[in-house]
Amino acid sequence: MTERPLLSVRNLKKHYPITQGILSRQVGAARAVDGISFDIAEGETLGLVGESGCGKSTAATSIIRLEEPTSGEVIFNGRDSAAVSADATNDVTKFDDAQLKAFRRDAQMIFQDPSSSLDPRMTVGSSVAELLEVHGMSDKQRRRDIVQNLLEDVGLSASDYDRYPHEFSGGQKQRIALARALVLNPDLIVADEPVSALDVSIRAEILSLINDLQEKYGLSMLFISHDMSVVQDVCDRVAVMYLGEIVEIGDTEEIFTNPQHPYTEALLSAVPRPDPRRKRQDIELKGIVPSPTNPPSGCRFHTRCHRVIQPDEWDLEQSEWRSLLNFRDGVVEESLDVETTREMLRTGPADEDVDVADARLRAELREEYDLPETLSDQQAERTLSESLDHLVEGEYGEAQELLAEAFVTPCEQEEPAYADHGGGHRSKCLLTNDQASLQSAPSLKND
Amino acid sequence: MATKNTSERFDTVDWDEIAANAPDGNGTSTRAYLAALGLLAVLFVYDLVVASGEATFAAVGVSYDVPLFHWVLAFSLLSFAFLGLLPLVRNRGHASANFAGIVVATGAMLAVIIYDGIYLANAVPTFSAIGWNYDVTGLDYLFGFSLLVFAFYAALPLYQNPRMTSYYWSEFRKNRPAMVSLVFLAFIFGVGIVGPLFINYPEAEFFRKYQPPVFATVSMNFVLECVGQQANGVCHGTWDYPLGTTNQGRDILTMIIYGMQISAKIAFVTTLIAIGVGTAVGTISAYAGGLVDEVLMRYVDIMQSFPTLILYLLILYIFGADLTLFILLLGFFSWSGTARYVRSNALAKSQEEYIKAVQLSGASLYRIIRRHIIPNTASSIVTDLTLLIPAFLLAEAQLAFLGLGDSEIASWGVLISVGRNDLSFAPWITLAPGIVLFFTILAFAFIGDAALDALDPEAQAEAES
Repeated sequence: MTERPLLSVRNLKKHYPITQGILSRQVGAARAVDGISFDIAEGETLGLVGESGCGKSTAATSIIRLEEPTSGEVIFNGRDSAAVSADATNDVTKFDDAQLKAFRRDAQMIFQDPSSSLDPRMTVGSSVAELLEVHGMSDKQRRRDIVQNLLEDVGLSASDYDRYPHEFSGGQKQRIALARALVLNPDLIVADEPVSALDVSIRAEILSLINDLQEKYGLSMLFISHDMSVVQDVCDRVAVMYLGEIVEIGDTEEIFTNPQHPYTEALLSAVPRPDPRRKRQDIELKGIVPSPTNPPSGCRFHTRCHRVIQPDEWDLEQSEWRSLLNFRDGVVEESLDVETTREMLRTGPADEDVDVADARLRAELREEYDLPETLSDQQAERTLSESLDHLVEGEYGEAQELLAEAFVTPCEQEEPAYADHGGGHRSKCLLTNDQASLQSAPSLKND
Repeated sequence: MATKNTSERFDTVDWDEIAANAPDGNGTSTRAYLAALGLLAVLFVYDLVVASGEATFAAVGVSYDVPLFHWVLAFSLLSFAFLGLLPLVRNRGHASANFAGIVVATGAMLAVIIYDGIYLANAVPTFSAIGWNYDVTGLDYLFGFSLLVFAFYAALPLYQNPRMTSYYWSEFRKNRPAMVSLVFLAFIFGVGIVGPLFINYPEAEFFRKYQPPVFATVSMNFVLECVGQQANGVCHGTWDYPLGTTNQGRDILTMIIYGMQISAKIAFVTTLIAIGVGTAVGTISAYAGGLVDEVLMRYVDIMQSFPTLILYLLILYIFGADLTLFILLLGFFSWSGTARYVRSNALAKSQEEYIKAVQLSGASLYRIIRRHIIPNTASSIVTDLTLLIPAFLLAEAQLAFLGLGDSEIASWGVLISVGRNDLSFAPWITLAPGIVLFFTILAFAFIGDAALDALDPEAQAEAES
């Protein structure tokens, strides 16, 4: 391993402009990838994990310049390109056409869906050989020989050269896609969920094939997945992405045994464990990933975090605090519709006792947000009841004001910085800001 | 470098050597071609606008006025040199059979054109030197070129990919009406292309007018001289004129065969232009996107709202009715639908992962469009074709029927309109070409249906679900 990493991504951003009107005036941007940085050493596999919509695939296509990144640097020190000339830039985002074409020889990609990643009107052999042709190998027989050898390497037979994609199974097609990614002998392969479209039974085969080839040819790999158990098998290091940012990065072993970000913790809790005696800590993330157009302030995960920080003035159980914040967000963003709930509850005749109806409505609203009948902190309980009263009376403004003022978490006010936990393990959470371990953090009082 | 190719592996390829041996990019030749075209266009405009009354090069003291034929020839030779010959020479040894074939064949044809147009100066029939009295017209050359394109880029690929072809064929064969239609069309176009080369155009024999078809009869009141049996004042048809004769005594069967050639010319040439321009505009529009897309598609809007018929009438009054003009006009004003159709298909295809994979291979835009987008939109192009061709044939017949066609030629439309006044007693003059036209168009409809199913199994699945 050289001292220089093969690939260094620095503060990479990809924003999709949102335009409006005839003149395509830009009114905003979807910040799909919002400043990510990581390194991949030679021969190393970095896993990039996260929910769908968190920007993993966009990160991949921007790094490999299938899409133009908005800003940032992608420093690539390929085996060949480093030798070419010292004064030429090695920043992929600044490559001109000729450099980019040379870069294509060094970095290739495997796509998620094997059934759509091969041209249905070309034999699989010519699909693979086309890369050789594009890069100037004009001898047809030579191309054929190389590709046939390679097809055998990935577990197919040389005679498959002349067959069409529809004659293969999904796993076989992914082997062909792997052959296509390999045929130019690249240094880096970006694998965008290469096994998630495959049968579970075939996954292991493809993964071990990828592993073998990687070892044999010393490939570096950026492995994108939403499946933590696959990542655990394949990757040397893992970067966890949430809403366009990397929230935690570190060695796989370290991440899996000692996660330092609540989001990682939640992802890991979803991995099935074969040991029945080991109690599973089931963390359920509620809601969906917020829109990247308007990401939450402070820590982007605070809207869903189960460890969201309570300020000192409250003394609530953690789950209650989470529910209370959800309730507050519901009221402030007006996604909570009191009138509809009232209508739904009205089963009997309209001239029912108003007080009874209101009480039922209050109870229903609490239940909707998993709030207990009384909160463990009396001060908080009083504020909550007051805001519920306002809501029932139809005074939205007052309720919003009251809740927004009373229940505030530091997580939404302050953006956390990366904290180093040693050995390249870094996380981005207020709880670990002072290098404290997440597990010893005081916040999670009771679950 | 591995000496034994069979043992060469991908990880031992010396890319630096390949890069060193690779031919130069064709960027310069493209630029040279565009520059030459631009120069030609400037000269042409100068000839039209500035030197309209005098010889083209009068300003420099050369009294050579360039005729239209030379303009077209210069353009053809230029395109042939830069788009055909130059790439062929550069990639000698590696060029595909299709490309080599079409370049060589087109070169041969251009040689004949030069021989015909410059050496013979169109004074004597083209092949009189070998004793064949067949004069080739400009439209024939266009027709020949479109046949070459068809042979090398539609027929030859089918032969080159036997497995794909047999799959399409087995799918296509399931549709029986389409099979019958295919045989019928092959007959129509085959006879149409070959027939007129050997059969003379029927002479007007006034005394033999209104001969009925075989097995039919006509009252002797209308016939001057009955070739067949006469009985009870009725003239019976004979095998001499299987489909009867016209009011000028011309054999209708021979005229229909000549009409087949005209229909084939309309079908091939017009379609070549429409599909060529439409596919180019459609794929470029889909792939370039942004402003290019916007400009091209708005132009398509303008063209679709352009009254082609009125333009045709205008040209008709200025230059007179001419089949070549009609075909060119039809071709250059009917690609808009194809362009839009191809664009939407190409847009859908360009989102597929295999296109991303090809982009990632470093392939040029031209290559992506030529090798991946167009083959994958081919099924929609073929189906579009089967709608376009009947529309062209009908358009010609309609204009001819209205008397707006080229009355010099024996198209089916002209023949139908000739029999218009004699419908009461000699309906075969109109009926015979009418029926052939009807079945031709029906055949295209059946074939289009079957081709869609065979080429695009997904569309079939969607239609059935």
